[in-house]
Amino acid sequence: MKKTISTLFVAAVVALGLASSACAEDVKFVGVITKIEIAGKDAKTATATVKDNGSGTPVLVTVNDDLTLDKFKDHRIVEGDEIRCKYETAAGKNVSKLFRKTAGC
Amino acid sequence: MTRTTIVAAAFVLAASTAMAGEHFGRESIEKSGYQGPETCEECHPGTAKAFLDTVHWKHESKVTNVDGIDPKKPYGMKNRIYVMCNGNDIVNNLKEIPKSPETGKTKFSGCNTCHPGNHLSDVGSTGPEAEKAIDCLVCHSSDYDFSKRKPYKDEQGRIVMGQDRSTKAALAIGKPSVKNCMVCHEAAGGGYVVKRGFSFTKDTDVHAAKGMVCVDCHKAKHHKIPTGLDPNNWANDGVRISCADASCHGDKPHKDADLNRHIAKIACQTCHIPRTGGAFAKDFTVWTQTADKFYEPTTLKKEANETTPVYAWYNGTVANTPHFIGPKGSRKDGKSKIMPFKIFQGKAFYNAKSGELLSMDFAPPMASGDTRGGVESAARTLGLKNPEQVAKSAVPGWQTIYFGSNHLVTKGKALSCANCHAPNGVLNFKNLGYSDKEIVRLTTPELYLKQLVEKQKEEW
Repeated sequence: MKKTISTLFVAAVVALGLASSACAEDVKFVGVITKIEIAGKDAKTATATVKDNGSGTPVLVTVNDDLTLDKFKDHRIVEGDEIRCKYETAAGKNVSKLFRKTAGC
Repeated sequence: MTRTTIVAAAFVLAASTAMAGEHFGRESIEKSGYQGPETCEECHPGTAKAFLDTVHWKHESKVTNVDGIDPKKPYGMKNRIYVMCNGNDIVNNLKEIPKSPETGKTKFSGCNTCHPGNHLSDVGSTGPEAEKAIDCLVCHSSDYDFSKRKPYKDEQGRIVMGQDRSTKAALAIGKPSVKNCMVCHEAAGGGYVVKRGFSFTKDTDVHAAKGMVCVDCHKAKHHKIPTGLDPNNWANDGVRISCADASCHGDKPHKDADLNRHIAKIACQTCHIPRTGGAFAKDFTVWTQTADKFYEPTTLKKEANETTPVYAWYNGTVANTPHFIGPKGSRKDGKSKIMPFKIFQGKAFYNAKSGELLSMDFAPPMASGDTRGGVESAARTLGLKNPEQVAKSAVPGWQTIYFGSNHLVTKGKALSCANCHAPNGVLNFKNLGYSDKEIVRLTTPELYLKQLVEKQKEEW
């Protein structure tokens, strides 16, 4: 009986966790990059600090997608650029789902 | 060793080096460094001069398939007036814009920032200086440092576009990658995918997913790039691209004869590019202030694959009026096919007297939101009489543009029989010129039921 209850409890916790992660809403904002931290040419992740235009607060965004990382590495995206960002929060990190410069020609 | 043997040996060596993916001139560049096009010319003589005669350098060409323009004169980004950009290389030449009244800051801006010269030798320039100014590496290097490709003022106060001419960048040259092309083409029209509405990644295009790059289809010869007949992409190098090229899909691309029959009237893009994206509306008469206190045209846009195209008959010729740029054609002209188009509508100022669309120098509105100031400046540059009055009396109005929808190709998500051959399906047969009686015949499962049942059996 005790085992059954603890199994059910674990299952409930897992289900709750899955449900809350499935419900995690994307956050969208536009802001200016104040800092890009990337460890070398072969880096698979980078952190960008972006000042939210709306609130004025700095947001730390983790960037993992190859396309954006490449743009950091060859300086197509640099500090001072305004970007449009969409991220979701997972394991305490704001993981980028979209990271685009707003400017064009 | 005879001269022929030496030449043959060199050729074999060059071929094997090329096959190994290494540039034949690597050793020479390592030894002597990179001095710009003159380094390239050591092995590719005449290439720089030839490049000056391409659309990528001139931003214009003669255009013979568009109504209302002179087929003997060149048209393109250099001089066109339409509502995706509203400026052009002439009126919105790269410059330092006036200081923002709010911040006192200025910045560089202009339509020709993507031109592969150094701005001193600009769009359409010719001669030895222009040849020396070509930025070969921005298209050919996979290790280009874009922090160097920024405008700056030289000691004489002239605006110069910087280039990365480092040996490091030169040692990484080769066939242009997707990045080399997209660095300009994805940002055209004022931001990411704004103008064309597509990205070219493994997630968005079946060709990219197969590892193809832009120049696999847009296969250049002497830097002349083949393009399609997009109603809004006028300037061309005189070479055209087609899915039906024998080296690509041919004229019978499907195993199914019924699908192959469609090709006579339905373009490949119609079924294989069911989505589009990018900007769908812009207002050049009212600009929106951004965080840096400068202004940008007010723009509504979506990501790639987030909007749906419209469909029309297209025979390769283009209607062009101040309020409409789009495909001409009909189901009965024997030349047209049904094609998908990305619809875009832009609001800009029109000449109150002539009804012609006016262009805009972006410097005044970008600094202070003064859009009529931009019209006045452009009118002055173009030599219009009484530019101040032209701007003052200008009337806002809309222009609709049909952009060709030729990317975001899909195989797995292509339209199937029932998407079109059903009531209220993807194709509006009424608008496409079919009678009510024909529409009844075209929108019944009778057309495909047996075939799809068999396919369903195979799948399950």
